[in-house]
Amino acid sequence: MNPPRCTPWEHDHTRRQWLGGVGGALACGALGGLLTPVIGEELKKKEKQVLFVWLDGGLSQLESWDPKPGTDFGGPFRSIPTSVPGTHVCELMPRLAKQMHRLCVVRSMCTKDNSHSAGVARIQRGDPKNRGVIYPFFGSAIAKLMGPTASNLPPYVWVKPGSGGFKPEDGGFLGPKYGALAFGDGKPPENLLRPATLDVAADAARNELRSALNQRYAQRRRAPNTEASSFVFDTAEELIRRADIFDTSRYNPRDIERYGRHDLGQQMLIGRKMLEAGVRFVKVNSYGWDTHGDNFNAQASLVGKFDQAFSAVLEDLAATGQLEHTLVVAMSEFGRTPRINGSAGRDHWPEAWSIAMAGCGIKAGAVVGATNAKGTFVQGEGYDIGHMFHTWFRALGIDPAKVEYSNNGQPLPIAHEDMKAIPGTLA
Amino acid sequence: MRRGSSAVHTRVRSQLAILFLTAAAATDAAVQAALPLHQQIDALVAAKAGKVPLAGPADDAEFLRRATLDFAGEIPSADEVRAFLADKAADKRARLIDRLFAGSRYAGTMAGRFDVMLMERRGEDAQWRGWLEAAFRDNKPWDVMSREMLNPNFADPARNGAGHFITKRLESYGQNTVDYPGLTRDVGRMFMGVDLQCTQCHKHLTVKDYKQVDFQGLFVAFQNLKLQTPNDTFKVRWTSEGLVTKEMEFSSVLTEIKGATGPRVPFGQSVAIPTFEKGQEWLEAPARPKNTPGKPKFSPLAEITQRLVAPDNANFTRNIANRVWFLQMGRGLFEPLDLAHSENPPSHPELLDLLAGELQAHKFDLKWLLRELALTQTYQRSSVLMETAAKSPEELYVAAKERPIAAEALVRSVLIATGELERVGKLPKVERKKDAKDTPRPDTLSLEEMTAAFQAAFANAAREPELSVSPTLKGALFMRNSSVLRTLLQPREGNLADRLLKLKEPAQIADTVYLHILSRPPTAEERAEVVAWLARQKSAREETLANLAWALLASAEFFMNH
Repeated sequence: MNPPRCTPWEHDHTRRQWLGGVGGALACGALGGLLTPVIGEELKKKEKQVLFVWLDGGLSQLESWDPKPGTDFGGPFRSIPTSVPGTHVCELMPRLAKQMHRLCVVRSMCTKDNSHSAGVARIQRGDPKNRGVIYPFFGSAIAKLMGPTASNLPPYVWVKPGSGGFKPEDGGFLGPKYGALAFGDGKPPENLLRPATLDVAADAARNELRSALNQRYAQRRRAPNTEASSFVFDTAEELIRRADIFDTSRYNPRDIERYGRHDLGQQMLIGRKMLEAGVRFVKVNSYGWDTHGDNFNAQASLVGKFDQAFSAVLEDLAATGQLEHTLVVAMSEFGRTPRINGSAGRDHWPEAWSIAMAGCGIKAGAVVGATNAKGTFVQGEGYDIGHMFHTWFRALGIDPAKVEYSNNGQPLPIAHEDMKAIPGTLA
Repeated sequence: MRRGSSAVHTRVRSQLAILFLTAAAATDAAVQAALPLHQQIDALVAAKAGKVPLAGPADDAEFLRRATLDFAGEIPSADEVRAFLADKAADKRARLIDRLFAGSRYAGTMAGRFDVMLMERRGEDAQWRGWLEAAFRDNKPWDVMSREMLNPNFADPARNGAGHFITKRLESYGQNTVDYPGLTRDVGRMFMGVDLQCTQCHKHLTVKDYKQVDFQGLFVAFQNLKLQTPNDTFKVRWTSEGLVTKEMEFSSVLTEIKGATGPRVPFGQSVAIPTFEKGQEWLEAPARPKNTPGKPKFSPLAEITQRLVAPDNANFTRNIANRVWFLQMGRGLFEPLDLAHSENPPSHPELLDLLAGELQAHKFDLKWLLRELALTQTYQRSSVLMETAAKSPEELYVAAKERPIAAEALVRSVLIATGELERVGKLPKVERKKDAKDTPRPDTLSLEEMTAAFQAAFANAAREPELSVSPTLKGALFMRNSSVLRTLLQPREGNLADRLLKLKEPAQIADTVYLHILSRPPTAEERAEVVAWLARQKSAREETLANLAWALLASAEFFMNH
């Protein structure tokens, strides 16, 4: 039976009403729809950003952040010391070991979803209490709560292998406008590039005339429709202007090597360029982590690529000072079973797994929580994804106790109301 | 129902009497009989607006464009604009409406509008579309259409297209299983204006009228259907019904309170389920060897259909009255269109009662209702506000509301504006391999392919209603950079670009682009603006003129039905 769902479109008219008073902020910057618009000017000036690295299928915590070498389920890999004395990670992550002083790892994740189909969405929606509405993905939530940066680039961009385009479903009840703009295989969306035959100055001139027409038309009519039209053309302009972000031929060859000549490396590099260009929320996606068979060879290959790409981006964000105002998260929908199955694989394990974070608002060099000696279960308090959403919102300066969504007048918490930020993770 | 038989009608009549009978000469009944529906509507809208000033009538050009978009699915050609503006007859608007309603594009246009409303972009289907077009061509009453959709006769080639409403929704898509709750929900939404989705598992949390049994009673009939592939008898995908021998039990996930129901129209009575002796349940017994699903004697679908499409189901009539009103005015008398309940009263209760009552009295004649609405001052008002937006609440209908133009009407409008419809319409349909690496040259695209390109850029995703003007980044990128649009602005014998190139005077150029694209002459100020803009351009003349046309095509004014 399909899950019950109250879908977003019935709220469309309410959304339009919010837009009524908000002017040019349509679709992205609107504070409308928040009961308590507390995203202060201060916050906007700092231009906080998010890099969200999604390892789809399930990173093995044992082959990464929480190794248990020499135990029943530890597998063949050793652990190595890191730049934080006393903290060890799996030997598959030599480069990230050197970045450990910038990272905060939570080793005591304990979530509920044991399947990809439920987990991928539930985890990225923060698994709030069931309110009969579909919650937005983290990126859509940030697009709503924080809007685009001053760059005016689309606030939620998703760099991923495979198909690209506009992914409205991430927006949940906030509506399709808060969905992701996906760059499939790192490629720009259709019609991004200005035709070679169209002169830049002439393009500007025709748009100037279009704007003048719109202004006159809107003078004595309801503003939102025309403003929406102008807004999408302006955003398109901004994307077209920054089309160089996608032109990998212009990238420094040394960067290309450093990030790694593989999908994750190249897409992480594009992600960094997007952050530099001012995209508010960048999700970089890697697929193929569901290692039910041959876990150790597969994770060795995958974790190696992740080690290279993720350490490179951390280094670069730190070097430019951007890390101070960029929240970085790397995670999957769950971890992998300590028990090794008959195909030398590890299966799905939401009971005890790890998430890594860095940057804005996050306590650098911290390791929070622990699993037992064999890594089978969390020792002490386990944390659910709702705790993480609280942590991330707080790290970005958004107080989930004060900020609420308004869905057709129904107040809805932005994160699970029975949970709080994880102690020891915030700077 | 007899006209004026209800208390409601009495109320409406007395209001109208006050409005119209200042001289107090005629009797109540005489007024009622004398006034056509469109005048009664305007009286009620004016009464509700009170002191808020009403916008003046749309000028001829705006009215012509609006009505042509609504009933022919395209903008008027420049010649049609010129002719309409030159026509001095007092009744030219009524005559235009009659012409459009009798025109060759009426049935296809209305079919398209109802397709988007009923199917919400789930994909195209020739039989369904054919059935819809025939329904509007023959002016099939809405109650008949509804019965054909809800309890389809899959064996009748003239009517089996209607079954698409159900069969399409029984397809599994993506990772979803067959969405019986979704079908149940859509029956409520589309035919009764109630969205019962939340009541699948518990009573509605914010709508006190919606109970779990309201969902479950419909669900009994629709979850009992099974999608079947075409065969000799049924040339389209069809559905079989299973045996329903006892009431369906359900329990609330919130309270664990249990209930049970047979087939039941929301807010109605449960149908008693007959008992048959074992072996006697079937009209046609299922046959294993031939793998035929059989036909039960008791059809919950027939029971539901008969009771849902019925004079005593007020929600059925009010839903279609509200939806047709929405199609023409851009705003429902109650909104959302699928959230009718006692705590969500219509903005104009008497008006909705009037429309529903009259529609029923006219045997669900949609063409008659559409025509009456098109004749109202309310529909014919200008979209220019008299007061600030804040002082002109939308629900008062004091000015025309801007409405979206569907992708199919948009592509035709762009082709008419650029003078390219004839050329593109003649291009042969080309079978292209889906995996072909080389994209076809944009100037070889047939009308069908051109339409697909516009749908990709401007239509909503499947299952997402198209209710309001909502520009997207995707659409803006298409307008700005797509070679499909660009090719239409290249000069070819007789098209707009060609005409503009042959014009010497900048003022003539301004007049021509405005007339062809925005379907009206420019004001003096607008003409001067174009002339000044042209003077500033340094590109080649051909490029400049294409850019001028582009600016008008990309304007908010062109993209809305205002």
